[in-house]
Amino acid sequence: MIDLIKVSKAYPPDVQAIADVSLTVTRGEIVFLTGMSGAGKTTLLRLISRMEKPTKGMVDVAGMDVIKLPQSSIHLLRRKVGMAYQDFKLLPERTVADNIAIAMEVVYRPRSFIEKRTRELLEQLDLTRKYNTRAGELSRGEQQRVSIARAVANGPEIVLADEPTGNLDAETTARVMALFEQLHRKGATLIIATHDRSLFEDTPHRVIELRFGRVLSRSEAGKDDGPAPFEAPPALFEETGA
Amino acid sequence: MRFWIVVLRHTCRNMLHTWKSQGMTLFTVSLSVLIFSFFYLVYVNALHVGERLGDDLRLVVYLDEEPAPPLQEEYRHKILKFDQVDRIEFIGREQAYKRFERILGENSDVLTGVPTDFLPASIEVYPVRTLDSLSRIKRFSDYLQTLPGVLKVQYGKEWIERFYAFIQLMRVIILLSGSLLIMTTTFMVAHTIRLTLFARQQELELLRLVGATDNYIRMPFLLEGALQGGIGACCGLGALLLLYNWITLQFAGPAAIPLPAFAFFQWPVIAAIIGLATLLCVAGSFSAIRRFLHF
Repeated sequence: MIDLIKVSKAYPPDVQAIADVSLTVTRGEIVFLTGMSGAGKTTLLRLISRMEKPTKGMVDVAGMDVIKLPQSSIHLLRRKVGMAYQDFKLLPERTVADNIAIAMEVVYRPRSFIEKRTRELLEQLDLTRKYNTRAGELSRGEQQRVSIARAVANGPEIVLADEPTGNLDAETTARVMALFEQLHRKGATLIIATHDRSLFEDTPHRVIELRFGRVLSRSEAGKDDGPAPFEAPPALFEETGA
Repeated sequence: MRFWIVVLRHTCRNMLHTWKSQGMTLFTVSLSVLIFSFFYLVYVNALHVGERLGDDLRLVVYLDEEPAPPLQEEYRHKILKFDQVDRIEFIGREQAYKRFERILGENSDVLTGVPTDFLPASIEVYPVRTLDSLSRIKRFSDYLQTLPGVLKVQYGKEWIERFYAFIQLMRVIILLSGSLLIMTTTFMVAHTIRLTLFARQQELELLRLVGATDNYIRMPFLLEGALQGGIGACCGLGALLLLYNWITLQFAGPAAIPLPAFAFFQWPVIAAIIGLATLLCVAGSFSAIRRFLHF
C-alpha cells in the first residue's frame, strides 16, 4: 500500500530531515511512528501525502508514484489519503460542521450524506454540541478532534495521523483510538505518528522508531526490539519489508 | 450538476466575502463599458450619416476640350488606375448647357443668345461610398488635377475634410476607450480576484490537501470574473440606453433640431459587447489565479 525506498529529504541549508528511509506498509495495517521531536515523523507523513517531494528515493502510495505524480493528479492521491495534521489546519471562521464537510464537498457527496456523516463523527468524538461552533472558538483538544474527524470523513484508504492525541485527555484519547480501530476494521491503512508511549505500549501493531531522520528500531506485531541506544549519528536499521 | 452547484455556492461566498471591492470593480467595469460603447455608438451613427452624405459625393473634373471617345477611354483607364469608382460620366458642352438650362427652369431665358458651348466639358467621377474612399478623396482630387487637359477639379471639400477629421477623431477615441475598457476590466478584476484569493488562502490550501481538483478551486474565481464582466457590461449598456433615450427625448418634437436617424445598437452588437467584457474579465481572473495558485 505504501512503499518508501531509500527516501531522503533535506531542507536548505543543510538539515537532513529524513535519510535513506525504506519502509513498506501493507494494506489494512496500523503502524505507529514514534521518535523524539524533530526525528522526521511529520516529514515522513508529508512525503507520503505529497505535501513535500523527497530529495531522493521513491515513494509509492496506493499504486501511485508520488514523486512523478503531476500537479493535476495530486487530488487522486489526496482523496485516498486522509490526514490529521499536527497544526490541525482548520478554518477558524467556519463552523465545526463546515470544517468537516469540506473534505466531503470536494468529492461531491450529497448534502444529506455530509450532514449525517458529520453528526455521526461528532458524536463519536464527543463534539455533538459543537456542530455550529466556530472552529476558532474551540479548545486545542477539540480542534484536534475536528481535524481527525475531517481526515476520516470520506472513509479514506489510508489515514495519516500526526500526533492525534497530543492535546487529549485519557478518555478522549480512547475515543479517538476507537475511531481508528473502527477504520482499521473496515480495511483502512493507518500510520499514526506519536510520542505518546501509552498508545503503542501494548499494541499488537508495528511500531517504528525514528531518530535523526533514520529508522532506528522496529517492532513486529506483538514483539519489541526494546529501546534503541542513543547514538549520534545513530545506527541504521532499515525497514525493508512488511 | 453537483459540480456547478458547489461552484456557484463558492462563487457567491467569495463575492459576499469581498462585497466592497466587488462593488468597486462592478462600477469600474460598468463605467468603462459605458464610455467605450458611448463613443462606439456615436462612431457607428456617424458612419451611417457619412454614407448618406456620400450619396451626393462626386468629383467634377472640368476639361479644356471635349474629349473624343478614344480620349474618354484613356481618361477612364487613368482614373480607374488610381482608385475604384462607382461610376464615371462624361458630360459634353451641349449636355452641360441643357442641364444648366433645366436647373434655371423659368429663368432659362437668361441664356438667350448665349452660345450652347460656353460651358466646359467635364468628367463626373462618383467614388465608391466607403470611408476609405472618403479619406482618399483629397489625394484623388490632386491626382485628377494632374491629368492632361484638366482645368479644375471640384468636390465638397469643406464638409468631407471636416467629416473625415471627425471620423478619425472618433476612431482614436474608440481606440483609447477600448484600451481603457481592456485595462480596467482585466486589471480591476485581477486585483479583486487577488484580494479574494488572499482572503481565502488558508481555505484554498486546505482544499488542495483534502483532494479538490484544480477545476474545483479555479472555477469559482473564473465564474466570479465572468459575472463581474457580464453584470458590469449590462449595467454599462443599460446606462447608455437611458442616456440615449434621454437624448432622443430632448431632440424630439416639431421645434427641436432634427437629428439624423440616430439608432441604438442592434442585438448582435449588444451581445458582442457583453461577451467581450465577460471574456476580458475572465482573462483577468485567469491571470490572477494562475499567478497565485501556480496552475
